[in-house]
Amino acid sequence: MTFSLANVALVGVLGLFGIGLYGLLTIRNLIKIVVALQILVKAAVLALVAAGHVSGQVHLGQSLAVTVIVADTVVAVIGLALAVQIRRRLGTLDVQALSGLRG
Amino acid sequence: MNTTAFVWLIALPMVASPVIYLAGRLAARDSQSAAQNRAAYGAGLLALGATWIPFVLAARELSLAGPATYTVGMVSLRLDGLSLLLSAVALALGTLVMLYSGPYLAHEVGQEKYYAMLSAMVGAMIGLACAADLFNLWIWFETMAVSSYLLVAFYREERASLEAGVKYLVQSAVGSVTVLLGIALVLAQTGTIHLDEIQGAVAMGSATRALWAAGALFVVGFGVKTALVPLHTWLPDAHAQAPSGISAMLSGVVIEAGLVAMLRPLVALGGLSLMAGVSWGALLMGFGALNMLVGNLLALRQTQVKRLLAFSSISHVGYMLVGIGVGLYAGQAAGVQGGFFHLLNHGLMKGLAFLAAGALLYALHLSHKQATGEMETRPLTVNDLSGAAQRYPLVALALSVAVLGLGGLPPLAGFMSKWQIFVAGFATHNLLIGLLVAFAALNSVLSLAYYAPLVNAVYRRQPSVAMLQGQPLPVAMRVPLILLMLAVVAIGVWPSLVNWLTGPAGSAVLIAWGR
Repeated sequence: MTFSLANVALVGVLGLFGIGLYGLLTIRNLIKIVVALQILVKAAVLALVAAGHVSGQVHLGQSLAVTVIVADTVVAVIGLALAVQIRRRLGTLDVQALSGLRG
Repeated sequence: MNTTAFVWLIALPMVASPVIYLAGRLAARDSQSAAQNRAAYGAGLLALGATWIPFVLAARELSLAGPATYTVGMVSLRLDGLSLLLSAVALALGTLVMLYSGPYLAHEVGQEKYYAMLSAMVGAMIGLACAADLFNLWIWFETMAVSSYLLVAFYREERASLEAGVKYLVQSAVGSVTVLLGIALVLAQTGTIHLDEIQGAVAMGSATRALWAAGALFVVGFGVKTALVPLHTWLPDAHAQAPSGISAMLSGVVIEAGLVAMLRPLVALGGLSLMAGVSWGALLMGFGALNMLVGNLLALRQTQVKRLLAFSSISHVGYMLVGIGVGLYAGQAAGVQGGFFHLLNHGLMKGLAFLAAGALLYALHLSHKQATGEMETRPLTVNDLSGAAQRYPLVALALSVAVLGLGGLPPLAGFMSKWQIFVAGFATHNLLIGLLVAFAALNSVLSLAYYAPLVNAVYRRQPSVAMLQGQPLPVAMRVPLILLMLAVVAIGVWPSLVNWLTGPAGSAVLIAWGR
């Protein structure tokens, strides 16, 4: 494995994806879960920019990345709005307190 | 070529969405009470009703001139048979749900948001059906997802809705990141995100391991929305807790939109390589078998009607996957067409089932909740259904037709599409596929074990206490039930009625597949 920009980006993507996924699986605070989701998305953004670089379509990769950032902000906003509503309704942000639906 | 018709088909519901919201806000500003928001409801009905005009024009264009492409800069949209099928299901169910939701939500806060989001969701699904490049596909997919998050968590004072909303949001968001990684891989390998060009690049012989990985990422990412079995855990909660109209939309169209979104890149990646066709087909069949079994087994244990119907959606996605998988594996049109026929029928039948269950939920529990001011709505259980036929004969008949159709009883729609899938499977003369089809047929019988008690409960002699206190149903809620019921029976008796939709959809996939 040579030390090229693409390989560095690949390590970055896998690292960010791993951190985000680990966070989603272990964290119980809703706001932190939204943060973990954001880290996951950053992995995808980096992957798109790197893919643009590798394939020689730099503009395409970057414009996709910017669009993803915009689209994902909406998801983060909805996630946080749900968190606010849950805090108001249940008095806690712990997702453990939420799990009432089963089977 | 005149492409404006199908662009309006996408644009009209999308543009109408903020207008509906504004109309609703302006009308609600004066009145303080949570009364029915007629302005938003009317605007919503008008918007979706008007969308039928470009739909009819686009359908005529398609049958006369073949697939049309519309390009703005790098974004290109393409209307083919598959797009038309998904648009038809989304628009038909969307319009009926809009009509139904007026009285259903009459006393809820924030109705204008609901109507606006529903309109946006229909527009996003039509856009998704028409997307011709991967990124465009992702954008529409995400738009659809965002509007559905808000709709699932519509009852924002209820704990269970919030829980369902969070589960749905987190799992879908991870799925969409997975899709993005797949898009990045495809872009890095082929240098393009246009579905046609990807196919060209794959056909040139660059079917590398990275593209297989990209395909797997698409299956996982879109599979979350399609509820492929290990990724299905959000579905029962979201479908059961959403307002009933939205349950019908989610179950009838949104998961199918996920399936279409998954098929588009898979077909492009399949290219001309025989290996890819066989492998992706086999993978879909495998997931299909798993979905049927797990969905049915979990549904057997349910006592809440909406949860039961939600689990049965998982098993019905299994039938579609089997049909499409057989078609891709053997390169025959009948299987793919059967899968899409089942997609259409499932949309109608599951829509009908959820709307009928929702009508009872409204009559028995929602009105009770409004009268007493309780925080949580009680779920509709199978026991609550007893004796529904005496007080609500229409709803009882609609629910029975829907679940018997879902169970695959002739002469209802569900039987016809399952039959087409089974026949296509046997026509391959492959022992394993034959066994799979037999397994699917057994599952169909198994599913009657939970559908039949519903029918039994509805026509049982003694009405339950809740049933006796039930409120009367408004006309706007009955009309969609009657229309869907007629459609389910009519398609069952004359299955060739919808050949103009399912035939081109099946061949659109196979032409793209290059067989």
